[in-house]
Amino acid sequence: MADFSLYSINAILILDNEGKRLFAKYYTPIHSTEPAPFPTLKSQLAFESSLFSKTYKLKSDIILFENQVVVYKEISDIIIYIIGNIDENEACLYQVLIGLRDALDVVLRHAIDKKSVQENYDFVCLAIDETCDDGIILETEGSVIASRVSTRPSAETPSLRNIELSEKGVSKLMSFLF
Amino acid sequence: MSALSYKKFEDSDSGALPDKMTIFQDCLQAFNATPVNAKKCRLLLSRLMRLLYSGETFPSQEATTLFFSISKLFQHKSSSLRQMIYLAIKELATISDDVLMVTSSIMKDIQNGDLIFKPNSIRTLSRVLDGSTVHATERIFKNCIVDRNPNVSSAALISSYHLIPVAKDVVKRWTNETQEAVFAQKYFPSNQFNNSSNSSYQDLYTSTPSSTFFTQYHALGLLYILRSHDKMALMKMIQSLSGVNSPLKNSMAIVQLIKYITKIVHDSNDPHLANTLFPKLSNFLKHRSDMVGLEASKAILSSSLFTNEQHATAISTLQDLLSIPRTVTRFAAVRILNRVAMKNPEKVVVCNVELENLISDSNRSIATYAITTLLKTGSAETVDRLIKTISSFMNDISDEFKIVVIDAIKNLSLKFPDKYKSMLVFLSDVLRDDGGFPFKSAVVEALFDMIHFIPESRDSALENLCEFIEDCEFTELAVRILHLLGQEGPKTKNPTLYIRHIYNRVVLENSIVRSAAVSALAKFGLIDDPTIRTSIEILLNRCLCDVDDEVRDRATLALKLLKSKKNTSDSSNIIVSEFIRPSKLYSFPILEQKLALYISKGAFELPFDTSSIPQLSEDEIKAAEYQSKTSVTSTEPTRPTKSNRDSTINHSPANGSNEKNKFSEKDLLQQKYSQEIASIEEFSSHGPLLHSSSIIELTEKETEFVVLCVKHLFKDYLVLQFNVENTLPSIILKMVSVVSIPSNDYYEEDFILPIETLAPEAKGTIYVSFKRPVDEEGFDIIAESFSNTLSFTTHEVDPSTGEVSEEDEGFQDEYQIEDLDLIAGDFIIPSFVGNFSNIWDELSKENENVATFSLNSYNSTDGIQGVIDKLIENLSMMAIEGTRTFENSSNSHLLKLYGKCINGERIAGVIKLASNSKDGVIAKAIIRADSFKLSEVVLNSVA
Repeated sequence: MADFSLYSINAILILDNEGKRLFAKYYTPIHSTEPAPFPTLKSQLAFESSLFSKTYKLKSDIILFENQVVVYKEISDIIIYIIGNIDENEACLYQVLIGLRDALDVVLRHAIDKKSVQENYDFVCLAIDETCDDGIILETEGSVIASRVSTRPSAETPSLRNIELSEKGVSKLMSFLF
Repeated sequence: MSALSYKKFEDSDSGALPDKMTIFQDCLQAFNATPVNAKKCRLLLSRLMRLLYSGETFPSQEATTLFFSISKLFQHKSSSLRQMIYLAIKELATISDDVLMVTSSIMKDIQNGDLIFKPNSIRTLSRVLDGSTVHATERIFKNCIVDRNPNVSSAALISSYHLIPVAKDVVKRWTNETQEAVFAQKYFPSNQFNNSSNSSYQDLYTSTPSSTFFTQYHALGLLYILRSHDKMALMKMIQSLSGVNSPLKNSMAIVQLIKYITKIVHDSNDPHLANTLFPKLSNFLKHRSDMVGLEASKAILSSSLFTNEQHATAISTLQDLLSIPRTVTRFAAVRILNRVAMKNPEKVVVCNVELENLISDSNRSIATYAITTLLKTGSAETVDRLIKTISSFMNDISDEFKIVVIDAIKNLSLKFPDKYKSMLVFLSDVLRDDGGFPFKSAVVEALFDMIHFIPESRDSALENLCEFIEDCEFTELAVRILHLLGQEGPKTKNPTLYIRHIYNRVVLENSIVRSAAVSALAKFGLIDDPTIRTSIEILLNRCLCDVDDEVRDRATLALKLLKSKKNTSDSSNIIVSEFIRPSKLYSFPILEQKLALYISKGAFELPFDTSSIPQLSEDEIKAAEYQSKTSVTSTEPTRPTKSNRDSTINHSPANGSNEKNKFSEKDLLQQKYSQEIASIEEFSSHGPLLHSSSIIELTEKETEFVVLCVKHLFKDYLVLQFNVENTLPSIILKMVSVVSIPSNDYYEEDFILPIETLAPEAKGTIYVSFKRPVDEEGFDIIAESFSNTLSFTTHEVDPSTGEVSEEDEGFQDEYQIEDLDLIAGDFIIPSFVGNFSNIWDELSKENENVATFSLNSYNSTDGIQGVIDKLIENLSMMAIEGTRTFENSSNSHLLKLYGKCINGERIAGVIKLASNSKDGVIAKAIIRADSFKLSEVVLNSVA
């Protein structure tokens, strides 16, 4: 029988054109006690390299791999993967993938490639965080995801007021702890 | 500000991964500095994330230090920095200690923070809370769930969802708010897309929706978990959400709703409920979003509670989806169809045209699914063409796909035995291709099946295998093939051909293969031809000098046995032959079970008793295998996960054990009966048990007394075993027996073994033994009908003591139970024959009986297939040549049946079935047997 939880995404990966990691996040429900499917870095990397060898340059969007549904898109020199449970609705996962791609397209200013991902890593990981929260799909509309990603702070002159506030904050924080 | 200028801020961010310790030091320095440089800190956090997302991790102490220094960044107001801080906290929360310390900062942000990072702060909150601190945040969560901003509401719902495992009771109190969120339609604030902090993207947006209603998805998921134990509430939820005016606007939320409907239908197991919910599902079939249509079709097709017509509407939706340009949709649709075709190929036949187009799909997974589906749905005419198409692309696909295709071909060869030629050509071609062990093994397996079940294919298939072992790198396969050559080779017209191939192995291979080859050679020595025997002896003599002791031992033993065969009398000849080439094999599942039992008992002073393990002849084994391989249910893999290596490897043994279990289950039951009966003294003179029927219910399941019956046949006796269950809580039954009166008085009652006392809610067994009648010609297969009455005395149980009072003499009573028919099928053991027409011709026409029946009495709603299943069950014969499954393409069917009577006589039947709407199913049955009377009796039990 299908899985009824909202935890529908097992992992999101971005690999480069040699199968090397640019971004990899394997999701496990936060407060759950179940063991993660790929507990060690070694098993994750092994999974990624065999997945890469099965998908690179094939451009066929979807594959069943090691008992999971994997949807993927190759964009210039990177591949984005969304990995879900075997019973997950394939079209749903694909929708997530497209949403994420559209969002990256906006935040990376139509230049989704390896260099741009590395240089704008904060945008990429914020966009992914706004797409999926520990396995739960947050949003699949690219423009909405992108609108949630903040731009960088502008250069500024520090003001003393902020610091004073912070002292208050820290002391408050202490009082909460002890 | 552009990305470029940012890049130059420090050394370039691209290329190799930053050093972990450098980042750690830089972070501590920058985060603790006053004043905080927001821009620099966001850059450092981004590098830190890059480390973490590349798989680096920090030891708990360092992580905690980092976590603490990051918490200092809360002093800076920049919302851009704050969003990044939350991401870092989320990632570090799992590996740091004392994460609770940031709670108050987060709470402050939730209450007064900027909209851009408010959702992030809510989502982060669930990471730092634990079961004991959740309740303090209750009010905040409630407020956020009902917030009008969809981002805030979703974030709160998701956080709640994450917290369920640790604080279900607390989250439960938010049910009303959650329910409200399911129905609410929340719109993005007008400034979502021209927010001050990210206005720079504005020109990049192509479209900006006013809402995606994703909150509904999150709320529905949470609501379901909170209500999953309350069936009524769930039903109400489904009713209110799935109508035409459903408030659900989000496709994913609808998909989720469909999953819940499926679950409810599945759990209820109630066709009526399925019928009431069907309109809701069928509404979704035409939904504009693919994912909804797919999910609804999947839901309908996954349950047999829906009718065939309902399945057909779902199939037609999938049929439309098959020609959609989006790869993923085609994939999902063909995957569902493939799953349906495993069980009910006839339902998918309508999609054949679309499926054929998919064979050339650029996505190989889709092509493979299409082909395997077509192989299931294909008719005899299309097989050749299909195989041709497949051969053309076998080289392009990976081993895993090939195995799937080979398995499909194997099943097909059993279904259409007369197409064996093209399949054999196909298999021998692929056997020559390069491939790993699992692939080769699948091909060899398929050839084995053809050799076993399609006798015409034997010689050429064996030749293919011989060729294969000439150059086979897999010892295991070579050994299996050599064993098979030893089994089948001597039966062929030209056995010397195989001897050459086998002896080549002795010369060229490793010791394991050599020993197998020696054993195979010995079997050829049994052929009744002096020249062959002499040459075998010469070959075996050569093996005596082998370097390996196992090979030498086997050769010595074989030679010794063959020599002793020449010299001595006939009876020892048989012993020798049995030794080299056993005609019967132990039933392995039972042997395994008994051995395990023997070892666990530890009573090793008693030798292991092999006589208690049933031995099966080759025919019986084949019959069982054929049955399991052709029956529809057992060929369905648990999961159609075709394209990945792990599952295909796991798949075949799992399926194998499934077959084995089924096989052994029947065996074990028979075994259990004969043990039970053997343990009863009265039956010691009855001889061995020849055949037992399946269990027949003689009462409804809910009555006071539940009676089940099994018919056992012995050489001269019939024993009816009645299993009686007393379902009354306060009545004890004594002297329980069954009065069985044969309606034609052929059978003569021998004795009854009643149940002395049957306690309340207990079970007991009554045996009634009859002498089997013999007519004037010595024919003893005689059908009969028995009317049965349960007779007993009832005694009330005193509820205070739980015992029967002394003075209660009981009350004599009777209880009518249903009649029992002894039919021809009870005398027949289903068995397999490779060449049906040979047997048919052997059984002379003189012993033929023909009749035409109208089988309305079968009253089967499943049409011809239902009749076929019932005929097979009633006659207890085996359907040969794949005639067990009915093809929907016509309204007639030819069923070929074969079985053996318990007295050893053979029975073959050809039954033509035709159906029309007026008369139901009509059958013309032709039965031939070794004797006229037998065929007559069998014919009479067709109707």
